[in-house]
Amino acid sequence: MKSRMKRTLAGLTALVVAALIWLPCLHLFFSKPVSNFRQAQGLSPKARELAARHLQLWTDPVLRAAELNKMRVSNAEWDFMGRSYLVWSLANMSLRDPASKPLYLRTMDQIIDETLRLEKSEGMYFFLMPYAKDRRYLAQPAHSLFLDGEIALMLASRRMVEEKPEYKPLLTDRVNAIVGRFQKSPKMLLESYPDECWMFDHCVALDAIKMADFLDGNDHSALIRNWIAMAKQKLVDPKSGILISSFEADGTPMAGPEGSSIWMVAHSLQLLDEDFARDQYQRARKGLGAITLGFGYAHEWPETWKGEANIDSGPIIPVFEISAGSSGMAFISASTFGDDKYLASLAATLDFAGFPSRTGGRLKYCASNQVGDAALLYAATLGPLWEKVKTGARP
Amino acid sequence: MKIFSGKKPAVFQRAEFLSAKDMLQRAAAISVIFLMVHLAGFREYTGILNGTIGSLALGWNLSAFLAVIYIVFYLAFIVLVPVLVLAAIFLAVWQRFHGKSSP
Repeated sequence: MKSRMKRTLAGLTALVVAALIWLPCLHLFFSKPVSNFRQAQGLSPKARELAARHLQLWTDPVLRAAELNKMRVSNAEWDFMGRSYLVWSLANMSLRDPASKPLYLRTMDQIIDETLRLEKSEGMYFFLMPYAKDRRYLAQPAHSLFLDGEIALMLASRRMVEEKPEYKPLLTDRVNAIVGRFQKSPKMLLESYPDECWMFDHCVALDAIKMADFLDGNDHSALIRNWIAMAKQKLVDPKSGILISSFEADGTPMAGPEGSSIWMVAHSLQLLDEDFARDQYQRARKGLGAITLGFGYAHEWPETWKGEANIDSGPIIPVFEISAGSSGMAFISASTFGDDKYLASLAATLDFAGFPSRTGGRLKYCASNQVGDAALLYAATLGPLWEKVKTGARP
Repeated sequence: MKIFSGKKPAVFQRAEFLSAKDMLQRAAAISVIFLMVHLAGFREYTGILNGTIGSLALGWNLSAFLAVIYIVFYLAFIVLVPVLVLAAIFLAVWQRFHGKSSP
């Protein structure tokens, strides 16, 4: 009996020692140099593989329909955002890899044209969640800043790579409409859903306005400056100092600071107010970002805020409080602000828990979806487009 | 032939709990099951992790079930199997230096 207990104790001890050795080493099997994910010049291996998969989706209508239908069962927004992220990625890729520019431009045009066609034929609700129809938009006629901002940024990104005369009036009309609504709104807040405004959508729309100014020689810098001043004053969570993610049309907060929002917001702000953008990134990194045993991830809320899992956060993995949505979006901010340590640790987690699947040089993450992979592609390629606007090199 | 003798081959005979052989048997079993679910394509259903249905044809419940099976055995294969193998090596070395044979 004593001998048996001794053997069991020896077995348990061996297991504990083995775990103490193995667990800290596990990340080494998934960690790669950050250049595997993102490079200063050209395209990283990961960007090429992810892009190959997306380009295949846009040349194979059956495959594309299957992917988009799976996402639309959960959230029609993802169908739309997957298009936006891919177009923005392809614009950056065109600047990084001029030899492939014709292919990228063709795909961008195909996505933009199809998106505009669907918006026109099916109406704006086609890309919104069903609850958009439950109430009436306060501002009439109804518009969603979510759609208008991202479409404007798609059009502007395409024109940044190479002018397309047909898109010039489309961008001008869309931007003028957004600006007009900003000017009419007493609080400078525009709805994405009825009486529901999103920080993410405002920042993307302001990026589009800034880019349109650059392209067409207009100046809405006062509008952008005033909006950011208002946001700093009224839309910041006082405890974390992080911009809140959603609010009513009168500015009443709806949700607090959220990872699924702030990482993209910080990236968008970089084009508008670099110091504020970096401040927001640093606060988000401190309050939401984490690295455990070499694996990077992100929480959806800082410790000072209690929220419930939703369609944006994705399921929250207990104990570590890992949010799939926030962790995915963290790639964009870490890449924007050159936080290589965090970016490499996020990439290690992605290869560990994202279930990569490679076929013929094409990469997808099974634990992700088309919009998730498109956001990752954007994180792997972003930079040149913002840089072009900031440095003033006109196309 | 032994295969028809009705006696299990040594490798399949039940080892003492938490012995080196027991750990290796468990590691092998996990590896085989993971290989099977991997080859069966269960990885495709893990989109459930971000709230995306794995297959419209199979529906939410079955997709989620297949995803959970895959995730459990993947984590077991990646995290548990190396720990079991390392622990078995430690035990074998320890027993060798203490002059005891493995049960």
